[in-house]
Amino acid sequence: MIHLYAIAEGLGELSAVEGIDGAQVRTRALDGLELVVSEHDGAQLDPTEAAVLAHARVVDALATSSSALLPARFTFPAEAALDSAVRGRLDDLRQGLSRVRGQVELGLRVIGESPDKAAEAPSGRAYMQARLDEVARTERLANELHEPLAALASGSTHSITARPRLLLSAAYLVATADVERFRDQVAELEREHPELTFVCTGPWPAYSFASAAET
Amino acid sequence: MTESLDRPLEQQITLLELVDRVLNKGVVLSGDIMLSVADVDLVYVGLRVLLASVGTLERLHEEP
Repeated sequence: MIHLYAIAEGLGELSAVEGIDGAQVRTRALDGLELVVSEHDGAQLDPTEAAVLAHARVVDALATSSSALLPARFTFPAEAALDSAVRGRLDDLRQGLSRVRGQVELGLRVIGESPDKAAEAPSGRAYMQARLDEVARTERLANELHEPLAALASGSTHSITARPRLLLSAAYLVATADVERFRDQVAELEREHPELTFVCTGPWPAYSFASAAET
Repeated sequence: MTESLDRPLEQQITLLELVDRVLNKGVVLSGDIMLSVADVDLVYVGLRVLLASVGTLERLHEEP
């Protein structure tokens, strides 16, 4: 079977990075796109921790040596299906590549405190009201954190969980030149909210923005 | 994976985010055979300690 790592544009020399299980990583040109793949025996690759990390390493290496890259999800494409699937979605894939060109992805998780006043409420009605207030307050706060960051990004996906533990889980598509500005903005929000824990990850290859539906 | 208990929160979240991206994000070409839930569990079993310890750290954060 063929394992797909990414669809690339303007890919330079493939660096010496090894594929999953030490397999050789090679490129395959198809209608102006470059598919980066490795070949494996058997019908499927198990998504073990080692395989997932190897996939991520290859995608990382490709991201630095291409002009645009759509990382692939870890799935099992069959060889014959791969080419026809790519041909059937050329416009979509080209659009995706131009969307992520010159951009990286930054992840953000904001972990909140939990006052959990609801648990102390004396009645069912008071409990429900306290719970609703808490959800509204959490959503408001998450939006306040998200908006200034989204303004610095060309795309974003986020979920406000309204669970007090994980207040905000978001990914932002940011121009490489703006990464520092974005991080400064995160640092500023961190100063404004000492009660919250911010974890900003990346820069990642644009995994979360590789599919059109998710922008 | 036992050493993950000693990893700082940031490293653990980074690993978690990486696995989430590789398995749940990224482009999917139609015609692909998707991972079954059981297959994904293979990875998550390895990450269970990690998840558990992120939970622990979050609880610690709650304390004054």
